[in-house]
Amino acid sequence: MTRYAMVMDQRRCIGCQSCTVACRTWNDLPDDIIYNPVVSEGVQGVFPDVHATFTPLICMHCDNPPCTICCPCKASQQDEDGIVWVDEAKCMACKVCVNSCPYGARDLSSYDRPLHSFVRKCNFCKDRVREGEQPYCVMTCHQKARIFGDLDDPQSEVSKLVNSLKVERIFPELNTDPHVFYIPDLGGHR
Amino acid sequence: MTETIDIHAPGVEIKKSCCYFCHQNCGVLAYVKDGEVLKIEGDPTHPTNQGGLCCRGNIALLHLKHPARINHPLKRVGEKGQNQWEKIGWDQAISEIAERLNQIKAESGAEAVATAGGTLRTDDWSRRRFMNLFGSPNGFHNALLCWIPTFMVETAVSGWSPFETDLSTSRVVILWGFNPGASAMPGMRGYSDLQKAGLKLIVVDPRYSETAAHADLWLPLRPGSDTALALAILHTIMFEQLYDQDFVNNWCVGFQELWEHMWQYSPEWAAPLTWLDPNQIREAARMYANNKPGNIQWGCTADQLGRTAGAGMHARALIRAITGNLDRPGGDLMPGPSMAYITDEELEANEWLPEEQKAKQIGSNKYKLTSWPGYQMIADTAKATWGKAPTAEWMCEAHGPSVFKAILTGDPYQVRALIVSATNPVNSYGDAKMTLAALKEVEFLVTCEYWMTPAALYSDYVMPIAGALERPIIHNNYGVTDSLIASQRAIQPLFERHTDYDFWHDLALASGQPPEQWPWDTLEEAFYYVIYPLGLPVASYDEFVENYRFYYPPLEYYKFGEKGFSTPSRRVELKSSILEKLGYPSMPTWIGPAENEIDDPELAREYPLVLTTGGGFMPYHHSEQFNIASVRFLRSDPYFTINPETAKTLGITDGDWCWIETRRGRIKQRANVEPSVDARVIYAQRGWWFPERTATPEEPFGCLESNVNVLSSVDDEHCDPIGGSWANRGLLCKVYKVSYWDKVDATDTTFSIPGSSAEPGVTVMPSDQKLAYEPIPYEPPGAPFEVPEGLVWDENTQIAWDLELGLAYDPESGWLYHPETLVYYDLVTRYAYDPTSEVLIDEATGIRYNLETREPIEGGGADGGGESGADGASAPGADGGGESDSAAGASAPGEDGGGESASAPIDEEGGEAQ
Repeated sequence: MTRYAMVMDQRRCIGCQSCTVACRTWNDLPDDIIYNPVVSEGVQGVFPDVHATFTPLICMHCDNPPCTICCPCKASQQDEDGIVWVDEAKCMACKVCVNSCPYGARDLSSYDRPLHSFVRKCNFCKDRVREGEQPYCVMTCHQKARIFGDLDDPQSEVSKLVNSLKVERIFPELNTDPHVFYIPDLGGHR
Repeated sequence: MTETIDIHAPGVEIKKSCCYFCHQNCGVLAYVKDGEVLKIEGDPTHPTNQGGLCCRGNIALLHLKHPARINHPLKRVGEKGQNQWEKIGWDQAISEIAERLNQIKAESGAEAVATAGGTLRTDDWSRRRFMNLFGSPNGFHNALLCWIPTFMVETAVSGWSPFETDLSTSRVVILWGFNPGASAMPGMRGYSDLQKAGLKLIVVDPRYSETAAHADLWLPLRPGSDTALALAILHTIMFEQLYDQDFVNNWCVGFQELWEHMWQYSPEWAAPLTWLDPNQIREAARMYANNKPGNIQWGCTADQLGRTAGAGMHARALIRAITGNLDRPGGDLMPGPSMAYITDEELEANEWLPEEQKAKQIGSNKYKLTSWPGYQMIADTAKATWGKAPTAEWMCEAHGPSVFKAILTGDPYQVRALIVSATNPVNSYGDAKMTLAALKEVEFLVTCEYWMTPAALYSDYVMPIAGALERPIIHNNYGVTDSLIASQRAIQPLFERHTDYDFWHDLALASGQPPEQWPWDTLEEAFYYVIYPLGLPVASYDEFVENYRFYYPPLEYYKFGEKGFSTPSRRVELKSSILEKLGYPSMPTWIGPAENEIDDPELAREYPLVLTTGGGFMPYHHSEQFNIASVRFLRSDPYFTINPETAKTLGITDGDWCWIETRRGRIKQRANVEPSVDARVIYAQRGWWFPERTATPEEPFGCLESNVNVLSSVDDEHCDPIGGSWANRGLLCKVYKVSYWDKVDATDTTFSIPGSSAEPGVTVMPSDQKLAYEPIPYEPPGAPFEVPEGLVWDENTQIAWDLELGLAYDPESGWLYHPETLVYYDLVTRYAYDPTSEVLIDEATGIRYNLETREPIEGGGADGGGESGADGASAPGADGGGESDSAAGASAPGEDGGGESASAPIDEEGGEAQ
């Protein structure tokens, strides 16, 4: 079995937001949609003992996604390899899934296509991934702070990282079983 | 996603293009079908980016098709600045521009035509070629803020600027005022990887930058005090004996003088200037000097310090030299110009610019190292070494701000025409108000641009230029490394856009330059000419890109072992003879900055904060990309960073619009309250203009409102005397909130030319200085002793030779010696000296002669003499025997202990030969 997952190495992320822009241009997103923002609380501490951490966000492609079971028209769905995606032809833009996602990872564009609007979200660039390529945000990251691969393959980089380092997940207590893992930046000057 | 673009569909070609939005030129794969680019992505096989692309790289398609792009030549129909244009054909525009330029040349001389450039974004050699053949020396870039003075100082000191850092085996690297985390993304990945492998990162930055966050040692110094820090680090390395003794003895000259000179610049001296603890400075010096090999990475801060800049670059050059990090594995490599392909300098046709025109270069009387006087010396030395010189574009240019002043004042002469190419001068040159006035004032203005910028708005003609994906690009690091990366165009330029090469080529032919000087019809043909000497089996430039793409010669180490360094003395000149000849201090000498709180306490009371600006930040590059919504949304307003403590005192909260004011003017930016800077420091973003605003003729596109260059000064006395760069780091400022009662006051609209801002008016007219170009012809320094008749002095080996017999002259003893057998010969008779019997022998005949009288000795066979062989090779008459460093002559660099240098092998081998 294949189970796609992503690891965000926060030790390497410098907050350049290239992934944010790259994803928008590759997927031709309208101006009000962002699939992967990079968030930060800014620099913390008292100068010069300061620190900053950047957290790239993205759809967590949960194993237990609340956004698929709530969809009334089966547009929001999950494939066997774990990729959660929206079939735009079936979507009727009811936004139930938008509200159900605890990560704010999906939204409806209010700008484009007034006659047929549909919910958009990251689909791990499934067209690229199934051709054997990397998702575009992974490819574009100069810092190689994003690592993508098959978690079920013990030889893959993601499975090595997830199984050997202390990784964190966002809102694990919600039992969504998110499949985006974070290697935290522990702070201070290394 | 309904109209998914299939990049794997039949008929889709993959073109190996590159990004053109900063200097990295990351590889881009463009998927092209029927002359249309469908998609782009990073090229995973490209050596620079390995598939990565930053915000800027990813917007290439939006840039290509942006509705605000200029697509046709525009001719002004209304008044200047009214934004009224007529679309005309390319050829018509070219011929009208050529006619006007020729008229100005006939009336006022070719020097009345100047060109302004930006950064490495055009085919600059073609611009230079045009200007040289046209006869004007007044081309310039913003090069003075961007590493060029550093290159020239380092080249003057050690023969080439160590641009190529061999980081793979390096143990420590200093990132000095360099933030790859925001301005050189592929580099940042490399540092992160190498750091894991043990590389130590020392980051010098007043701000907790993306890079400082990853430092092993972060030096948060006072902005603009880098020179004091460099001097103190050099001092520490010298007086804690952390330098490379062997390298200094064998390959450096002037160590003794430097020793005496550097005594004054202790870390304790630097502490109040840099706000660092003396022990922090020592720690940095030790970390760098004790971890060998190490590097000092390039960075532009050193060039942006204004008056103190030159000494700082000089000190940094010496730091790498005396630690022995030059041209060694893991160190700072000095490749020299490429011998394998045609360099930009060879395409520039500098030999066609007459000497009397070189003499008229504006600024060359003041800032000599980065203009013809200094460049000529450096180029001559380089040609003596390699037969090739560094590019003159960048390294040898008019002083930009002085040209703008000449437009306004007519001094030293009236500049009547300006061609602006790939720059937005109001935002990128110092003293923006003065620059804007000059653009309004100049008689004839042509702008080659993508967009309607403030400069374009005042132009008589605006020419549409091809951008990324529309042009082939060769990336060769300004010609300072010997590698090359080539990229092809994905598509032919859309509409009537043309490459810069086309512009200069067409303009040259239209203005009557001989067609044989411009043998290449297209840029691809010219680039094929460039790569042809590589001798690869390719029939066109595109074929080279598709099959090879780059040329990386193997790294070479210790190249100085063959010819020495490319300086007049063939050694690293710790006491620089080139700087001395140009009239500058030959050793790094502290000159206080234009403004600081120690020298100017009164000024500091009015302007208590220290401003730093000019640093790069994502997603913009210089003044670009502000008009592209897909990146502008990341940072839609200009922000300055202020420490929470200071903000609290001043009543400023996060996001407030505030004025930042210096003696020269004030600008508005929003407050980013964050502890990433010291409580005394303000960090302001550079480059801001608002292309979405209207083109009002007074201040188009809000180009002064948030523009940090309003705050900087280009007064002659504030510029670096060596290179002419001006300060945008370490200026004194004050900050206060924008309020409802704000009024535009006189300081918002006035500027000074070119005197000081305290007393507006003219203080140092260029004509007050001796303007006439004093050509400084290159003369090899010659022998440090009188060369006896019949001998020839050789600059490379620093030895006077008898070429016929292959004998070297030893000036100490006055004897000749054979460099291999180490047998001494008499200077007058050329007879060999036999140390055992102390007689002379004519080797041809075997006849023996008396040492004193040189008369033949009767009764041939000599007795053994009983002398031990150990001091046999020592020169007769030289007392102290084999200890003397005489054979090393001019090359003994260490004053004492000369026996370690070249004369040591003579002793040993001489002994064995016996």
